[in-house]
Amino acid sequence: MAASAENSSKEKIVAAVAIGLFLVIFPWLNPGYRYLSLAITTGITAIALYGLGLQFGQAGIMSVGHAAFIGVGAYTAAILSGNVGAGFWVALPFSILLSAFIAGLVGLPSLRVSGQHYIIITFCFCALLNIALTNGGAFTGGATGLDVGSIDRIFEINFDQLRNAYYLVILALFICVVVIYLIINSSYGRTLNAIRENEPLARAVGINANLHKIGVLMVSGALAGVAGILQAYYLHHISPALYGPFPSLYLALMVMLGGARLIYGPLVGAIIVNFLPEIMRLDPIDSRIAYGVGLLIVILLLPGGVSAGLFGAYRWLMSKRQQ
Amino acid sequence: MAALEIAGLRKEFGGVIALAGVDISIESDKIVGIIGPNGSGKTTLFNVVAGVHKPTAGRVTWQGKDITGKSAYRIARAGLVRTFQQAMSYPGLSVRENVRIACEHGRRREHGSKQKWSSPEEILDFVGLRGLEDALAGSMPFGNLRRLGVAVALGANPILLLLDEPAAGLNDSETSELSQLILQFPKLGIGICLIDHDMYLMGTLCERLVVLNFGTKIAEGPPDLVLNDPKVAEVYLGGEI
Repeated sequence: MAASAENSSKEKIVAAVAIGLFLVIFPWLNPGYRYLSLAITTGITAIALYGLGLQFGQAGIMSVGHAAFIGVGAYTAAILSGNVGAGFWVALPFSILLSAFIAGLVGLPSLRVSGQHYIIITFCFCALLNIALTNGGAFTGGATGLDVGSIDRIFEINFDQLRNAYYLVILALFICVVVIYLIINSSYGRTLNAIRENEPLARAVGINANLHKIGVLMVSGALAGVAGILQAYYLHHISPALYGPFPSLYLALMVMLGGARLIYGPLVGAIIVNFLPEIMRLDPIDSRIAYGVGLLIVILLLPGGVSAGLFGAYRWLMSKRQQ
Repeated sequence: MAALEIAGLRKEFGGVIALAGVDISIESDKIVGIIGPNGSGKTTLFNVVAGVHKPTAGRVTWQGKDITGKSAYRIARAGLVRTFQQAMSYPGLSVRENVRIACEHGRRREHGSKQKWSSPEEILDFVGLRGLEDALAGSMPFGNLRRLGVAVALGANPILLLLDEPAAGLNDSETSELSQLILQFPKLGIGICLIDHDMYLMGTLCERLVVLNFGTKIAEGPPDLVLNDPKVAEVYLGGEI
């Protein structure tokens, strides 16, 4: 028993180091412009997905409007840059705080309704924000959106170079994964699990469920804010269409495909949805059909997501080998 | 003075009067039972006291402080902990995690006070769930789930434990094991207030019984007196025709 626990923690470290190493050397594997830029998009998406994974997987609060909070982060950065000339590093804390704050506000109805009722509220907020951004005049740039400059150089690093942008995103992703891992394995993570599993019982043993629900939505919103500002500065141009209900549904799809509860789930989900159509050379319509079928298969056969499925398959293979 | 003072407690759900002004005092070193026919307001009483529902009128005082209408989690942290009629757990978590979560919240242990339990395992040992620490709560049979419910409540470090039908759905041997367990609580400094329909169990466990009918207290006193009270018999068996 003790030996197997030791083994599994050793396996975990090996897996983490292997994945980390792969991500670090990826730009040197000659991925080409297309795959490297796809990797950057995937990394940015994954950061937001870790937030969604935390609120859904640990606290059981699903959202189909999550792109809205990425949008809040992105537009905060763009508006600060356009109106007061604030650069990336100055805008970063504002993007994080505003996204967290708005996510907390939108989360207030979750204290009264749950499940599909709250999901509809998130969807409505996302659609509303979209309308507001589209009709925001010069302030939000309307339907065309806003232009964003480049990230200020630090130590003479030019983040407009794809490889440097990639490493910045990977660094942010790494910090985000560490934070999420610490949360999941702390007493705070257990508290969130208690709320997910049985809220009345959680309250009955002294858990302030309302506070923690808003809290986890704010953490999730903060990560969306990081993703938003990174996306704004990577694309150099943002528009409302990026943060509408449709991108939100993709985020929900990625989290469910990858698996929300395991630490690699959101990353796996982001990689599958971003890379698979490219590798299989599917056109956008075909890929949507593929996502739909894929999601159905995952929900029916692998309720824990692809990451949990892979983990289970690995466990099964190991037990076969030992016999 | 009693630890829990309920005065004139009234609760209406729309036009239904679930509690019509109830006065009860409960000490934190005794086992007190609440009985009454279905719909007499027993569970509503627990729900209002534990902060699940806000009362329409009346006062609940806990250790001298007014806790009327306070949030459920605050009341639990003050040491007034309840269990549920439906054996509740966190089904997707292990038995150990179930108890551990309660230990991490609940009433803070006062500085320097003797700790009753140092770990979730000790509580599980006490309620007789040793060896099942890693089992998934949702996969356990009903009897064990009842024990787990008690273990979770103990984890929250209560001064007074409100047990809502702890023996419901248990067979005779499970019920007698449970009553042995409950009898030990006052020695550990935990008062018990319990609801149950098993009159034999209530008669043997409780030092005092309170009888509710249609949201009103109709009798109170030692079990042998209360159970022989003609008013109580009438409520349970119907009046003379």
